[in-house]
Amino acid sequence: MSGRAPRRTGRGFVAPALIWTLAFFMVPFAVMAAMSLATLDGRSLVWGLSADNYARILTTPYLRRAIAVSLEITAIVTVISVVLAYPLAWIIAFRVPERWQRLALVLAVLPFWTSYVVRSYSWLLVLAREGVVNQALIASGLIAEPLTLANTRTATVTGFVHFFVMLLTLTIYANLVQLSPNYRRAATDLGASAFQTFRHVILPLTLPGVVTGAFLTFVLCIGDYVTPQILGGNNELTVPQVIMVQLGRRADFPLASALSVVLMGIVTLAYLGSARWLRLDRL
Amino acid sequence: MSNRRLALLGTTLLATALPGLAAAEGTLNALVWCDHTDPALIEPFEAAHGVKVNLREYEGTGAALAILEQSRPGDWDVLVIDGIDVFRAVEAGLLAPLPADQLALGDQFPEVVMAANNQQGGVTYAVTEKFGYNTISFNAAKVDPADMQDLNTVWSEKYKGRIAIYDYYLPVMGLAAIASGIRTETLGEADLAAIAPTLALMRANAATVGEVVSSQTALATGEVDIVVGGGEWLTAVLAGEQPELTWTIPDQGAVRWAQSIGVLEASENKDLAVEFVKYITGPEGQARLATSSCFWGMPANARAGDHLSAEQKTILRWDEQAGYLARTELYPAPDADLDARMQDLWLETLQQ
Amino acid sequence: MTRVLPWLYLCLAFGFIYLPVGALVLFSFQDGSLPVPPFNGPSLKWYGAVLADRGLMAAMLNSLVVAVGSSAVACALGFLAAYGLARHALPASGLLRAALIAPMTVSYLIVGLGLLIVFGRLGIGLSLWSAGIGHVVINLPLCFALIYAAMGGQQVNAERAARDLGAGEWRVLALVTVPMLAPAILAAFFLAMTFSWDEFIIAFLLTRFDVTLPVEIWSLLRSGLSPKTNAVGSLVFVISVILVLGLEVFVFRRRRQ
Repeated sequence: MSGRAPRRTGRGFVAPALIWTLAFFMVPFAVMAAMSLATLDGRSLVWGLSADNYARILTTPYLRRAIAVSLEITAIVTVISVVLAYPLAWIIAFRVPERWQRLALVLAVLPFWTSYVVRSYSWLLVLAREGVVNQALIASGLIAEPLTLANTRTATVTGFVHFFVMLLTLTIYANLVQLSPNYRRAATDLGASAFQTFRHVILPLTLPGVVTGAFLTFVLCIGDYVTPQILGGNNELTVPQVIMVQLGRRADFPLASALSVVLMGIVTLAYLGSARWLRLDRL
Repeated sequence: MSNRRLALLGTTLLATALPGLAAAEGTLNALVWCDHTDPALIEPFEAAHGVKVNLREYEGTGAALAILEQSRPGDWDVLVIDGIDVFRAVEAGLLAPLPADQLALGDQFPEVVMAANNQQGGVTYAVTEKFGYNTISFNAAKVDPADMQDLNTVWSEKYKGRIAIYDYYLPVMGLAAIASGIRTETLGEADLAAIAPTLALMRANAATVGEVVSSQTALATGEVDIVVGGGEWLTAVLAGEQPELTWTIPDQGAVRWAQSIGVLEASENKDLAVEFVKYITGPEGQARLATSSCFWGMPANARAGDHLSAEQKTILRWDEQAGYLARTELYPAPDADLDARMQDLWLETLQQ
Repeated sequence: MTRVLPWLYLCLAFGFIYLPVGALVLFSFQDGSLPVPPFNGPSLKWYGAVLADRGLMAAMLNSLVVAVGSSAVACALGFLAAYGLARHALPASGLLRAALIAPMTVSYLIVGLGLLIVFGRLGIGLSLWSAGIGHVVINLPLCFALIYAAMGGQQVNAERAARDLGAGEWRVLALVTVPMLAPAILAAFFLAMTFSWDEFIIAFLLTRFDVTLPVEIWSLLRSGLSPKTNAVGSLVFVISVILVLGLEVFVFRRRRQ
């Protein structure tokens, strides 16, 4: 293309960012991968090429369970968040009058800016045995005895869904408003019902946005330590929680590294599975 | 931009990222438990010596030892450590000898001097600063206090779903051992199989397993009525508003915790560090440490009593300590291997 | 019925979204030491306690410094890379883009753990600097992607004109490209800032004595149950909301006009 400056300068512009990513992301990741092949003898580190840590992950029940728990929670959270966020984004995009849309959207994501740590803690207060939810349910006569909500998987999932509904509403809304109204009009003109229009026109067109949002949800959810730690009551441990236990109590860096590599592997699989719809550079 | 200039830029960035960590005159770096981070405890020392005390909390002894072994001389001056783990730090050559004559060990409750733990070969490496109990905390309005006197009733089916377990493997495993008639002192690898069913039962009947604040929250909000592994450190902070939250030592006994403080061999500021240890173990510092905002606990120094109010002493149950000390055992002190086994068993129990 | 349903859903969704925030703010005014029902009446004492807490105030300042600093670096690097890739034909530019975006697909915990191991091995002490480096790593892809997406064709002509008039590469960049892309750069900067300001796990792993606000709140949370946590949470929320609304009103609204 004409008007482009020579390659040499181009490389110079990209280099700082590339060097930063290389030095502080790729090299640390490589070192971590090497660390996952080391072992711990007492408290001293033995570098090597041992598969011990991976064998331990495969054979130790609590570690295998952690992977299962992480996958289950993340899958549940991703599905529920998408299912809840899509209608919300839809309503804001197509039902809320245009002049109020921006406000509705800002309001829908405002709690995004409460401190992340505090947000999980707030859910603990809301879901407690004598918290707002139980008191409201008892007052309305729906239940007689308070439900156990806090310190359960339900609590962890609720905390996560709250966060990701906001995130997904934003990404799905951005997708919906980009759609030309002509598509909907054309479908209707051709005699499609509202559902058919959605199923065969809108959904396929917004799928990349939904998948991108869902993938982001997956990545952020499976790697999160704070929410399950505060809300889950240690009734089951996720992979990040197990990693933090290895670091905080035992300083077992090799096992923590191996678990991180496994986590990374899961995310990569999820990426490959959704790659054909992903638009990461268009977030 | 040439490659050489880029390389230069990279190294400059790296160099500026290196903080000037050479121990500045007048700062003290301490690796501590959360009760030491209370400004009411630290500020008087800072004011008296015109220094800044930097504090960093840690979770488990293993991690603390790893941090210290990876650090450079001068990084750390003072260490607060579990009384039973002092030997591990000494074996690793991390602790410096303390001038025992300057520390008023004679003022301490004799049971908690713990010479076997804090001293080696006649040399004092650490001093006990605070102690208390991992036992049973409960809501007296919701459970039968008589039931709380028997550990096996506490975690029985009767209270299913109303129990929280304190998420620290050593004391809870200690309690499980005591309930099975195993002395915590002799707890070995063979005993783990014996206490595993007790832990599994406890876990099955528990609603949650949590660290200090989540167990506290659970008890205070009525989420649970019993905290296994709790004690004065859990309920003292809540005593004012919820007097029905209390604790007891069951008939079988309970576990005693003790924390020690020492100066690090690699410290480049040993004099100031020793002064800090003297302050923390002196009567005034002890009173402040005992009533720290993070958690309360009995001061090791009996003379701290002069600086505590009658109300504070009641909450700490000052006058009942002789009986408690006699009926409790220190919690298990595993070596690195057994420790790893115990942590695995603990995580296995959590994930069951 | 079908007319009401969407509005009902909207109300329920907003109820869900605001439930924890409402409880948080309400019990920050609790007169008593427990942030759970019953509500004992309004009191401002916990806000007083937060403002009097040296540790929290220092952490807030640290967070601000790290957020501004790391976002500025991330934006600068991201902008240069976006410019390089959008305006110059580079070999393997797809690969370069993928490499720059890569950290976005990795959990913060892994980024933090990797840096922790490397800093530990190299004997580099942990500080706000190390946390800041980590924050640049996670925000760089974001800044790059946002700015790269905004680099359309409309600036190319202006840049070419400037170049034809004899401006050097750097002058074109500073006097033409940056001003034209200011909205995207600002948006990237503020977004990165809010991410860094609120980031916990990297800051937790990579700081030592001086910590950022989320880390300080974490230890506050771990060390006692208190409406003080609610108060500091509410304060952070109010400050962030003012920032976001200000951004909305002054940056985005102006841009649309």
